[in-house]
Amino acid sequence: MKNYKQLSIATVGVLLTIAGCQKKFLDVNPQGKETQVNALTDTAAASQTLAGAYNALYFGGFDKTTVGFEWVMMTDVASDDADKGSTPDDFGTNGAGDIDNFTVNANNGIVQNVWNGHYVGIARANQAIDIITKNTALDQTTRNRLLGEARFLRGLFYFDLVRAFGGVVKVTRVPQPSEVSSDEFNIRASVDTIYNVIISDFQFAADNLPLKGDASTAVGRANKGAAESYLAKVYLYQKNWQKAFDLTGDVINSGLYSLVPDYKYIFRESQVNGEGGNNNPESIFEVQTGQNTTSNGISPLFSNGQGPRGKGGWNDLGFGFNDPTVDLANAYEPGDTRNSATIIYIQPTGGLNIGTILWDGFRIPTQDSVQNERYSYKAYHSPIAETPAIDGNKDNKPKNIRLMRYAEVLLIHAEAAAMLGNADATTYLNMVRARANLGPSTGTQANIWKERRVELAMEQDRFFDLVRQGRAGTVMRAAGKNFVDNKNEVFPIPQSIIDLSNGRLKQNNGY
Amino acid sequence: MKKILTIEGCSPHAVKKALLIMKLTSILMLVATLQVSARVSGQGKVSLKLNQVEISKALHSIEGQGTYRFLYNSRLEAVSHKVNIDVANSPIGEVLNKLFAGTDLTYKLLENNLIVVVSSTLAVQDIRITGKVTSSAGDVIQGVSVTVKGTTIGTTTDNDGNFALTVPQTGTLVFSSIGFVTHEQPITDSAVVNVTLVASNKLLDQVVVVGYGTQRRSDLTGSIGTVKGADISKQQVLTATQAIQGKVAGVQVISSGDPNSNPTVRIRGVGTTLGGASPLFVVDGVITDDIRNINSADILSIDVLKDASSTAIYGVRAANGVLLITTKKGKRGKPVVAYDGSVGAKEISKLVNMAGPKQYANYINEGNIYYGTGDSVITDAMLAAGGNTDWFDAITKRSLIQNHNVSVSGGSDNADYFLSAGYITDGGIIQTNAFKRFTIRSNNDYRIANNFKVSTLVSYSRTNFRNVDVNNFNLAYRAAPYIQSKVGKLYGNTSLANNVGNPLLSLDQVSTANVDNRLQATVVAEYKPVSWITLHTSLGTDLDFLNTTDYDYQFLNSGPANVFLTAGGNQYVQQSTLALTKNNFTRWLWDNTVTFAKTFDKHNFTLLAGTTAETYTINNFVGTVKNVPPSPDLRFLDQGTPSTAIVTNGGDKYTRNSYLGRLNYNFDQRYYLTASIRADAASKFPSYNRWGYFPSVALAWNLAHESFFSSLNKTFDQLKIRGSWGEVGNDNIPSNAYTPLATINVPYFFNGTQYNGISFDAAADKNLKWETSKEYDLGIDFAILHNRLNGTIDLYNKKTTDALIFVNFTGIYLGDVDNQYLTNAASFRNKGVEVSLNWADNIDNNWRYSIGGNIAFNQNRVIGLNGGQALYDGNLNGYFVTKTDNGQPIGSYFLRQFDGIFQNAAQIANSAQKNAQVGDIRYKDISGPNGKPDGVIDDFDRAFSGSYQPKYTYGITGSVSYKTFDLSFNTYGTHGGKIYNGKKQLTGSDPYDNIETKVATGRWTVNNPSNSIPRATLGTLPASTYFLESGSFFRINNITLGYTFPKPFLTKAKFQNLRVFVTTQNPFTFTKYSGFTPELAPPINATVNAPSTTNAGIEQAIYPSTRSLSGGINFSF
Repeated sequence: MKNYKQLSIATVGVLLTIAGCQKKFLDVNPQGKETQVNALTDTAAASQTLAGAYNALYFGGFDKTTVGFEWVMMTDVASDDADKGSTPDDFGTNGAGDIDNFTVNANNGIVQNVWNGHYVGIARANQAIDIITKNTALDQTTRNRLLGEARFLRGLFYFDLVRAFGGVVKVTRVPQPSEVSSDEFNIRASVDTIYNVIISDFQFAADNLPLKGDASTAVGRANKGAAESYLAKVYLYQKNWQKAFDLTGDVINSGLYSLVPDYKYIFRESQVNGEGGNNNPESIFEVQTGQNTTSNGISPLFSNGQGPRGKGGWNDLGFGFNDPTVDLANAYEPGDTRNSATIIYIQPTGGLNIGTILWDGFRIPTQDSVQNERYSYKAYHSPIAETPAIDGNKDNKPKNIRLMRYAEVLLIHAEAAAMLGNADATTYLNMVRARANLGPSTGTQANIWKERRVELAMEQDRFFDLVRQGRAGTVMRAAGKNFVDNKNEVFPIPQSIIDLSNGRLKQNNGY
Repeated sequence: MKKILTIEGCSPHAVKKALLIMKLTSILMLVATLQVSARVSGQGKVSLKLNQVEISKALHSIEGQGTYRFLYNSRLEAVSHKVNIDVANSPIGEVLNKLFAGTDLTYKLLENNLIVVVSSTLAVQDIRITGKVTSSAGDVIQGVSVTVKGTTIGTTTDNDGNFALTVPQTGTLVFSSIGFVTHEQPITDSAVVNVTLVASNKLLDQVVVVGYGTQRRSDLTGSIGTVKGADISKQQVLTATQAIQGKVAGVQVISSGDPNSNPTVRIRGVGTTLGGASPLFVVDGVITDDIRNINSADILSIDVLKDASSTAIYGVRAANGVLLITTKKGKRGKPVVAYDGSVGAKEISKLVNMAGPKQYANYINEGNIYYGTGDSVITDAMLAAGGNTDWFDAITKRSLIQNHNVSVSGGSDNADYFLSAGYITDGGIIQTNAFKRFTIRSNNDYRIANNFKVSTLVSYSRTNFRNVDVNNFNLAYRAAPYIQSKVGKLYGNTSLANNVGNPLLSLDQVSTANVDNRLQATVVAEYKPVSWITLHTSLGTDLDFLNTTDYDYQFLNSGPANVFLTAGGNQYVQQSTLALTKNNFTRWLWDNTVTFAKTFDKHNFTLLAGTTAETYTINNFVGTVKNVPPSPDLRFLDQGTPSTAIVTNGGDKYTRNSYLGRLNYNFDQRYYLTASIRADAASKFPSYNRWGYFPSVALAWNLAHESFFSSLNKTFDQLKIRGSWGEVGNDNIPSNAYTPLATINVPYFFNGTQYNGISFDAAADKNLKWETSKEYDLGIDFAILHNRLNGTIDLYNKKTTDALIFVNFTGIYLGDVDNQYLTNAASFRNKGVEVSLNWADNIDNNWRYSIGGNIAFNQNRVIGLNGGQALYDGNLNGYFVTKTDNGQPIGSYFLRQFDGIFQNAAQIANSAQKNAQVGDIRYKDISGPNGKPDGVIDDFDRAFSGSYQPKYTYGITGSVSYKTFDLSFNTYGTHGGKIYNGKKQLTGSDPYDNIETKVATGRWTVNNPSNSIPRATLGTLPASTYFLESGSFFRINNITLGYTFPKPFLTKAKFQNLRVFVTTQNPFTFTKYSGFTPELAPPINATVNAPSTTNAGIEQAIYPSTRSLSGGINFSF
């Protein structure tokens, strides 16, 4: 008996022990998913999270956005360059209509999506920075390059935010979920604080990123030229003329960039006669898109949202939003090649008018079958001559978005020079004018401002440029827009974000 | 599972835990022993002074003092030992201890101061009895407890039913075994005692499977319901859970007519919103969550563990209750071949009548006067050119159902076997639907030695089914009736008429072929080193391979390939698509338990300790490609356009490791104590938050065994009161929900080439843990009127805490645009009463009958959101129909309040709807932004309006037999739940959608001033109580009439049994609900891949319930 007892108790003991020693047995990693914890040590994850931050540039459609469709709707439509477009009701109330009329309020969906999209982009950049910083497997050069790119993106997102909303919440690290309700993340930082973040990010990027064409970089990645150009633009906004002048000078002197001889080829997908196309020599920073089976390598609706809209009877090209104004059309000097490269003019009905033939041969009917009179040519993506979305969905056309062009660098350089009393102002202004087939002009600030408008029209610059120049109210009201000084320079902080902060986040003046 | 055998990585924590359990075991056993010796003390005092006398003489002198009498065998050697003793006025125990010091004698004090003196070494003088215990059917019975009444002497029968026991010459042997009437037999001189036990009919003697063991029902301390296999296999249903509907109080089963659906089971209400609410299934010890592979004919019983003290042994899995399925085994004897088969027909049990073309045209045209241009939009010409289509007729069918089962079972000295095969087909009631299932099962026991047994339980099932998109029911509900469904090879073009697809076409143009292969296998070894210790190990696996071939045909709406009578519209598929899905689910489970069962006098102990380990993996692969030719032989990804190919592959894995312990103690079968504890660790939680401890305690008092009970005996045959408390968990939440996970394939293009990045878009609560339920249960079991009426009443109160809910944060800064994460914050309560009563009697030898009923009331409440936000769900056209909020049942309807129909301008002027027209719906103006009625009808005017959860569910079962005819029925009903007629709200998504006949004919018109149905409407109406209906129903689930051929005939025909029967499933449903069925299968919550709890009860697109009539035969020889 006793032996049996001992035997059985021993057996039980063994069984319990065997089944019991299984700490490893319980440590099951998520299957087919990278965790934040693992990403800290995974070399590939450093590059992958950075790509995730770049991916934020695709945010668009009617969802959270960075530089996509609703960003266009907020910036261009608010300016005197464009009207909301489409049918009068479409996306009017609580949408782009209120932006256009300066009746926007804190519940506006566009404002919400711009806020959300940029903060998701910033969070992704912060995650990438965190993971790249903590990753021990990277060599110092690679780490700094990756960090430079991530900080470039963060700088870019903050630059949009500070221009759109003024001082915003400063998030430059990855907070714990338990922290996000603290004051740190629910109180607005000052405009200066945010600009310091932006300058510090772009400066780090400028110091650590390779030049365009270097073996360590690739087309589409932020490089030294991009960082310097953006930093120069920031200094332009800060009226730090010397720094803007020096940085743009650096970009110009790098010799890596040049103007595309024919303006209209800048916005094409492919080169024409060896000119233009995606990532042409004039491109400094550009949202890269492409065709893939899931059609998620694009900015949804960027092109189709701005495409000519039919009234029925033809397979139209889009939703018809963001229509160039007469005011913009009239801003072009006679003979300016940029006019017809920027605006698609819809021909009136009647006579022998066959409509508008686009560069690819696509014929848009006359005004009786088209909703609006003018559309943006810069957002046009040809359904017949350029890459379609693989799923055939017109919303998903792979249209690269030009965010920073060499022409703008030249104009920043010219303006900084003008302010510094440097004769270069005229030289660089006239480089831009000459390309547009216009005769020389004098490099005064006013001339350069005028030039900026037509050169960068429909490229989401005009509204902020006017605010920077301090004449937004004057110009807008002259264009018949109901702009209120000391209010409409910035957009309202989304109400839902204020609510979530329990009111700690303060609304902008006048909203 | 190999991994379990690795000893590396052994944590001291785990070893410590193992040792702790062993220590605990020893202490409990020690306590048991101590109690026995503590009891031996008499009342009377003894004085004795003797020198050098034989012990027998000394005992004689004590007897001489008058208090005590001694019983001993004079042939015992030790009684002739000589002793010296000098005690004065000492307790008898002390005296005897002195007297017996240095001998092998021990004593035991019995009633009436009778003291038995025995030798502690096996006294040769006692009789050695051997014997065999068999059942009246001739099977050996193992594990029968054989004891000498009033002593600690006892043993249990081995696997061959044999026992050997040394017993005193006088006394009574008591044979008891679960499921049999206890048998007493006086000890005689006979050295061989063979006993036949009679199987007990009494409910209280029946075997109940509890977690990791079995118990006699009369010994239960918890609340457990049992359904016997015969009651399950009788019903013409595909999944056994459907057949327990209405049979166990407190168990709500919601089944769908869809042949391959998995019925939803809710035990004692809904205890979670975002976790899984389905119970745990355990098939012969192997846990699973889907028993669709189990052939009902193979089931011996289903035991439903309801209260926390019963379920706590399953710890973190148990919060939703546990269903234990036991399958049949062979019995010793010559082979028995049994066949059980039926063939029948199945049809939709209820249709909704839709308006015919004329009623439709009338309604739409009138609507166009109110809302449109006023023209007749549906012209006579259109009607004349069209047809008269009842779309439900067009897409439904009657189908043949058949069910065949054949089994062979038997056993010999060393092995028992049970082998069965089943084949079942069911075409469902929707066109193109099909279902076939083949199952095979082999359950074998091998007796390797009389204390060592190995069992294997293996089942394989292969299911072929073609499922249908139930959304076609919605299309049929909306499609214009004047469009023909199909003429020749061409289909009517409903998309031109009212912008819905032709449902018949969309059924025909999709082919979904599923093949599910599932293997469940367990091998069990049981070893009894001594009669009272059982070592048990079982290794089980559940392998499920589900392959789906989904083919969408190309069909066009214009040109030469046009499939329509009239070209155009928007129903077409430009390119064919092939999607192949391969899902592999693998579960491994290893249980080890040791059971100590020992009786000390009247103290009965059963102590269980054990460990379990479990691994579950999922691997799922989906490949899709376009432009595959239509031939079924070419459904391979290679046949499509390569550039359109998309492959996705994902998976999941989780493990669990647990320790469990349970003590069942009873004193004299009067006072019962059950205490259990389970420690669970699950990989779903972070290592610092991984261990959960789930205790339970239950007490019961069996009054029937009290001596004073005999006076009550005329009234009560049985009476037991029980109470329990326990804590259980729910870990049915997504694996890894506690850690932020990368979204993969987040692309960006560098150098024109796609680079796949990752992003972390969803914030996670790093401290996430399981939901916990604490439950109290108070129950009473009784039998009266000579056991003809027995019943059970239970009261319970179950509180779930740490339930998952979304909590808001300003989380955009974490990259999570939802601003919310899943955390443990909410709490719910379910409390209720369950009553079940069963009456069985014989009128005479020919007439027997029984009737049983049960009813269960449950009240479900959200008692705290604790910072979480109320959950809105059930989005229909942008209106959320339900809201789960504090103080309300989970998934309550939150709706505008229908307040009749405006009959005149004055009513409108006095209302909050100044723009309304006569004939429109009036809503109550309940509130506004400032909490007061504001003269505007908007979202502020929504109010809680009940929930889908019934207030009570009930079932009645009955049977009558006359000679060899048998008739039985069972029913099920629910009361107090509401159904939201979502499909009705969505009508008008296109202005020219069809309407129900009742709406068309009963609508408000000037001549028919209805106050319940508004005037003709084009477009949808907002969500409101207008669409809310009673979900109460009562249904006859099954009626079966059978005839068993009489014995003389059978003997002549060499049959053991032969019975023919007709049976009907769901013949009658009594309900006020106007939709297809008041029994709505909830939609699946994708997060936990289980039926949702927050938006159940909305009829949108459902598979209607069905009814069937079958005839069949069963025989065995």
